[in-house]
Amino acid sequence: MELYEYTVTELSQLLKEKKCSAEEITKSFFSRIDAVEEKVGAYITLTKEKAFEQAANVDKKLMAGETLSPLAGIPIGIKDNISTNGVKTTCASKMLSNFVPPYSATVINRLKDKDVVFTGKLNMDEFAMGSSCETSHFKNTHNPHDLERVPGGSSGGSAAAVAAGECAAALGSDTGGSIRQPSAFCGVIGLKPTYGSVSRFGLVAFASSLDQIGPLGRCVKDVAVLYDAIKGYDVNDATSSEKELPPIADKLTGSVKGKKIGIPEEYFGSGVDPQVKEMVMNAAKEMEKDGAALVNLNLPSTRYALSAYYIIACAEASSNLARFDGVKYGYRAEKFESLTDMYERSRSEGFGAEVKRRIMLGTFVLSSGYYDAYYKRAKLTQLRIADEFNEAFSKCDFILTPTSPVTAFKIGDRANDPLKMYTADICTVPINIAGLPAVSFPCGKDGLGLPVGCQLIGKKFDELTILDAAYSFEKKLGFAKTAQL
Amino acid sequence: MPEFDIRHVAKLAKLHVEENEIAKLEKEMREIVGMVENLPEFDNTNLPLNKDDAMKLRQDDIKESMKRDDMLRNAPAVEAGCIVVPKIVE
Repeated sequence: MELYEYTVTELSQLLKEKKCSAEEITKSFFSRIDAVEEKVGAYITLTKEKAFEQAANVDKKLMAGETLSPLAGIPIGIKDNISTNGVKTTCASKMLSNFVPPYSATVINRLKDKDVVFTGKLNMDEFAMGSSCETSHFKNTHNPHDLERVPGGSSGGSAAAVAAGECAAALGSDTGGSIRQPSAFCGVIGLKPTYGSVSRFGLVAFASSLDQIGPLGRCVKDVAVLYDAIKGYDVNDATSSEKELPPIADKLTGSVKGKKIGIPEEYFGSGVDPQVKEMVMNAAKEMEKDGAALVNLNLPSTRYALSAYYIIACAEASSNLARFDGVKYGYRAEKFESLTDMYERSRSEGFGAEVKRRIMLGTFVLSSGYYDAYYKRAKLTQLRIADEFNEAFSKCDFILTPTSPVTAFKIGDRANDPLKMYTADICTVPINIAGLPAVSFPCGKDGLGLPVGCQLIGKKFDELTILDAAYSFEKKLGFAKTAQL
Repeated sequence: MPEFDIRHVAKLAKLHVEENEIAKLEKEMREIVGMVENLPEFDNTNLPLNKDDAMKLRQDDIKESMKRDDMLRNAPAVEAGCIVVPKIVE
């Protein structure tokens, strides 16, 4: 077994017991990248030289007998919308193709303090707008389980790299499903934490009231360790929660005994692939065998979630992306006639089609005469959806649904049909709308051998309960092995 | 379905739209607006503030900030420590 095939927890143990060095671990992952990256295309930027320096530093500490953090020397990949001081952060956009941030996101500083080895920056849909990685300005990322298929999105590079063994774990961001849906498509674990539990400082904003950074890994414990490392209050993020968030990785028991699991009818409707439905319900039944009780639920406002999501997300995006004007940083058009012309041409040439579509929709719903009919009604719908979840949690401890109604689709299949692409997010957007935590874990494979993701939705700040339930299933099925390539 | 004036929205969004793109964009936008139109009606349209997630302003302390040169490194055009933009006053 090669080092890149081990989980974070196993690698950390090997290091502690001095059975291998951080340099050897880093070497193994970069050899794997050399071998498979051409096929997968998960990375936009590799930071090999820096990674070996970081590994050498860990080895020095190890030799000096210092106590290492559970993430010391672990190769981690970062989605390319999370700012890294001195390393290009492109958001997979022509707009930021040469942008080198002069500061790091809070999550990056926290991981640096834990002596993480950073492998590089991962591909994504442009500005995190998409569900397949196909809107990236640079390249397509291929699903390691079937190279003709998409890895999902927008954190498709993160999920593909973890599944392919090109990093031990990764960070992604999730505005409407962007961690969970690619995790489902690539057969890995992805956690979208409670809104406010992880600092967004240094995350390039898409929809600020919905965005949240979270971890992806090959087993539940890895995801919990990474979540523990990045969470907690940050003075630089005004929406960051001051709530005390104790570590949870060492509290996982893998027991669901006595838990009540809500099964909402609306998430198992006709749009959901029958095989997906079957695998997801099978996971629920396994938990029932382990002593959990299944409770049927109704979340009737789910049918409005996609509309509310696209209105709120696009409105916020149109406002957030107004900063890209070709003046202080980012792409500037070569030819223009006036200042306004420079703005318009820089933005039109720098942004891709999907980003422009969403800016246009956002501008429209916020424009004079339409604000009340669209934006305000969407915000009121958001409150109704959140209230329904709250009520549901009086009857259950967590809610179980499919992560995505389908498994990974073929590259190109939905690229020219925005509406079809948007429906891929139907099971995940309500959770961002309500600000709740949710995890996607692999619960089996469909007839084509493609991973199926099961989503567990928790109460606010109750990541422990949903991760523990995912862990109970993983203990039976085993964790996701590195994809064969 | 409301009137959807691509030229007006593009102007507000500071996006340049070519004449030959307008028809296609209009069709796409109409479809998307059609998709998001099915929101429920509300009697009470007051949006309450969220007491649980009340945002706090940080203290207005003087602290070391980023260096000017570091900030300018990403600017498309710089002269004498300033960002260059087209002339706006004749």
